[in-house]
Amino acid sequence: MEDPGTFGVWLGRQLRRQGMSQAELAQRLDVTRAAVSAWVTGRAEPRLEKIRLIEEILGLTTGSVMTLDDVPDSAGNVVWYHRPAHRDGGRELGNPAAFAFESDLRVLAREATQNSLDERRDIDGPVRIRYTLHEVSGERLYRFLKALRWDDLEPHYEAAADRNTKVGRVLTNGLREMRETSSLLLLRVDDYNANGLTGPEYDDGRFAAVVRRQLDSHKSRSAGGSFGLGKAVLWGTSQLGLVLINSTLSEPYEGRTARRVIGRLDLPWRQVNGEDYAGPSWLGEPDAEMGGTACSWWADPDTVDALQLKRDSDAPGTSFLIVAAHDGTGEATTLEEMHDALVRSLGENFWASMVAKSGSRPMLEASVVALRDGHTVKAAERVDPDEYEPARVRALRAFLEGTTVEELTSDEDVVRTTVRLGLPPLKDTVVIDAESPNEHEAVLLLTPTNDDDPAPNKIVCMRGSRMVVMKRSVSDVPMGARRFQAVLLAGLATGSDTPDAFAAEEFLRAAEPPEHNEWKKTDDLTAMYARGAAARIQEFRVAMLAEARRLLRVQERKSEDGPPALRDLLSLDPPPAPRRPGFPTVGDVEGSIRTDGAWQVRVEIRLPEREDPWVMAPVLRFVTRSGPKPVAEWSELVPESHCEVIDGTLLRFAPRVRAAVFTGVSDVTSHPVAAHMAMAEVDLVRPKEAGA
Amino acid sequence: MKTLIPYPTLDGEIVLEVKEARLDGKPLSLTLISSMEQVVALHQVERNDWERARIVLRMRTPQELMSDEWVDVACAAVLTEKKTNVRLVTPLKRQSDNSWIGVAELHRDWHVGQAEVEGIVTATVADVQGRVIARTRRRWTVDLHLRTPTRKRTIRTVWKDFSSEENVYLHPYKGDPWAIEAADDEPVVYLNSGFEGLQFLLDSASRSDRAVQNAVAGQIAGDCWAALFNTAVYSIDVEDGEPQWPVGWKESVLRRMLPDVYPDRSPDDALVELCERRRQGESGGELQTRVLHAATKQARMSRSLSVFIRTLRTVEEEK
Repeated sequence: MEDPGTFGVWLGRQLRRQGMSQAELAQRLDVTRAAVSAWVTGRAEPRLEKIRLIEEILGLTTGSVMTLDDVPDSAGNVVWYHRPAHRDGGRELGNPAAFAFESDLRVLAREATQNSLDERRDIDGPVRIRYTLHEVSGERLYRFLKALRWDDLEPHYEAAADRNTKVGRVLTNGLREMRETSSLLLLRVDDYNANGLTGPEYDDGRFAAVVRRQLDSHKSRSAGGSFGLGKAVLWGTSQLGLVLINSTLSEPYEGRTARRVIGRLDLPWRQVNGEDYAGPSWLGEPDAEMGGTACSWWADPDTVDALQLKRDSDAPGTSFLIVAAHDGTGEATTLEEMHDALVRSLGENFWASMVAKSGSRPMLEASVVALRDGHTVKAAERVDPDEYEPARVRALRAFLEGTTVEELTSDEDVVRTTVRLGLPPLKDTVVIDAESPNEHEAVLLLTPTNDDDPAPNKIVCMRGSRMVVMKRSVSDVPMGARRFQAVLLAGLATGSDTPDAFAAEEFLRAAEPPEHNEWKKTDDLTAMYARGAAARIQEFRVAMLAEARRLLRVQERKSEDGPPALRDLLSLDPPPAPRRPGFPTVGDVEGSIRTDGAWQVRVEIRLPEREDPWVMAPVLRFVTRSGPKPVAEWSELVPESHCEVIDGTLLRFAPRVRAAVFTGVSDVTSHPVAAHMAMAEVDLVRPKEAGA
Repeated sequence: MKTLIPYPTLDGEIVLEVKEARLDGKPLSLTLISSMEQVVALHQVERNDWERARIVLRMRTPQELMSDEWVDVACAAVLTEKKTNVRLVTPLKRQSDNSWIGVAELHRDWHVGQAEVEGIVTATVADVQGRVIARTRRRWTVDLHLRTPTRKRTIRTVWKDFSSEENVYLHPYKGDPWAIEAADDEPVVYLNSGFEGLQFLLDSASRSDRAVQNAVAGQIAGDCWAALFNTAVYSIDVEDGEPQWPVGWKESVLRRMLPDVYPDRSPDDALVELCERRRQGESGGELQTRVLHAATKQARMSRSLSVFIRTLRTVEEEK
């Protein structure tokens, strides 16, 4: 035994699992209760003979204490614990945090990925996140429900679904769908190279923040909303309010790291078998010291497999299994649609986290896979940022690689400039520290985008995590300016580690609502910062648009245009084509080359209505690059409608007609070149006046 | 006018873009390249002595070009300038993304004003090599004199004191309110800043001056269009008995005014008629009547004058 503390934690857990009190162990070992207490709390450790006895009493193999092995996992240890109703009779009819969010898949992808980014362990490598949609039915579903102890849950669902609340309706739908289709859609969110759910069962730490608490945003300094309110979206995405968790810890708890498992169910107030229950239920080992509540357990590989929680590698991180996942918007209903919705959301919100300068690795790698009963429906698709945001990715990459320019000269250039953000003092600082920064320079990147970009001229804003916080349209773009895309990097996203970057990161996070999708006046902002904070945010919003416009401004035109009243009258622009020309024009022309090499054409003519019949000469010309176009003679000219041929070369159109048609065949001997070697056109000209 | 092409061509559209431009190796600001107007403005006051401009072009072609139907496919950008008859063909190279890129080079000495750039696609069709199977619908304009990339062209107007020492050439007209110089390369309307009240009137932003201002502006514009038309008429060349459109501002002036001079003739026929009148050397009385009519329309004189008269009457009545 290296560490008495470790032994104590281990012993406490073994007693808990066997439902044995410290007093009972003391009696059977023939020691005082105080001695056992001292062992459990790590103040002392037993002698070797007592250790042998402990192993015997606990039914462990010899040497278990040395290796800190657990009592073999038996299914009998794991139970559902449902929290009894409040004694005051208060009834909660839903999780308030879950109502604060729109629980659709796109929001889920945003919130869950953001949490994983904030929990990245090794900052030299990416956090890998995978979304797995798995539709299970038949034997697989049966095994899953058995491992889940569905029989214990069902009466609670029946009771909770039977009411006219929003939660009740969602539950009813979830149960009905499961029964009608005999299948269940599981959505698993895995992250690797993340911290995992470390920390004690009930006290402050990542585990308790996620599993035990509502509305707790266990925020570490640089992270934004890590396991904050957004975690409610996990439960909101489950039609059954049920999420199972398996975590590999980055720092041991109770001396262990692998397969820390717990399930949590969010149900409203309900009555089952005459007992009142309120709020959440937990799946885990009963904790005798905490009145039988269920706590996390170290599951064996088989249990993890049956619960569909098996992780792909030993890398630390957490797997959340959302049972009966659905898209709250109702837009994505099939497995394939849900897959695409997740990929799109990841691409749009996290493209920037997936970009790195060449030769180094990004902060995030994300993929989405869809399975049906273990068979791949949509193979793991690694989200490729270039596919979703080509222009902005180019901008960010140029920034990371230091290849930005000061003035755009190529359509692939990225211009870099700064936008000032004023930093107000914090409210609780009694003496304003002269050293504390009052200004931060955010980075604005702008690059031309393709003419076919469906949503050009926008600024995307982000801070440290590089998640897209908001997208803003730049209006009043100067006339004739290129279409562009822009990225605003603020706080730690600027890559700076100066105090102003940290201060800006904090300030902007305070300006974000729980959804992290805007910088505006929030309750946090007014609570934490001195007066004027909201104005600083507003100035920042205006300044970024102004800076983008400045970059796009076309050089001022030198005023040599003279008086405005005169300018409009002196335009040299070509006149618009008249809608009703005052002269006959050629309409549709069809033509082909006959076997003898002559052009055979059919020509439609449009005419202005006139009493006096129009007389025009049809002309077939061979097209040249410049200079006069050679004319070919007609060997045949045949009127088809509303015209007659005069002298074999002229057409006289009937009075008052508006359309006429003729056909013609060219005289091969008059061709300047073989017909198939040149383009040709048909025109109408006024006949040369007699004697001219 | 519809063109008959005796062989198959591409159905889809091809698009030419200017990626970047450099003057003697120094990149030009993208604000001088308008992809909307398809104009590159090369004139820069601070860099007026450049010799070579390099323009990087990219062409996008439709997917159908990849089919086996087309053999020996090649793409090129063709730069032409009417005034100098320069024609430069720049082959474009196919890129991995199936776009085509090449660099067109302009030597300042070879050009005088505006060059046009067109993209073409050629292929071997029915055993004939290098046939054009597609061309860009819109052309790019590369302008050596423009400071802003815009297609809008107006006749240059400048204020000068006609009697000042430095404007000796305007002394003969020093009593006139304006003078029109229909020079060969660029016509100029000179406004006499020494003519009392003229500048005040034309630059005034006051609503009460609007009617008089427009009437005077109409007078100036009318004079200008008539003078320019008459200059343009004498620049029409006749080749093989066929009159040819002049280039530059003269073509613009004729194209704008001929539909009003000869409303029942097509522009080409109107040009023929104009040449005929010039050749016959008649007194030109009827032609001048038509030219003044067209100039009046260009200057929108009827409207401004009737507003002016109405305003005058109202003022009289109020008195």
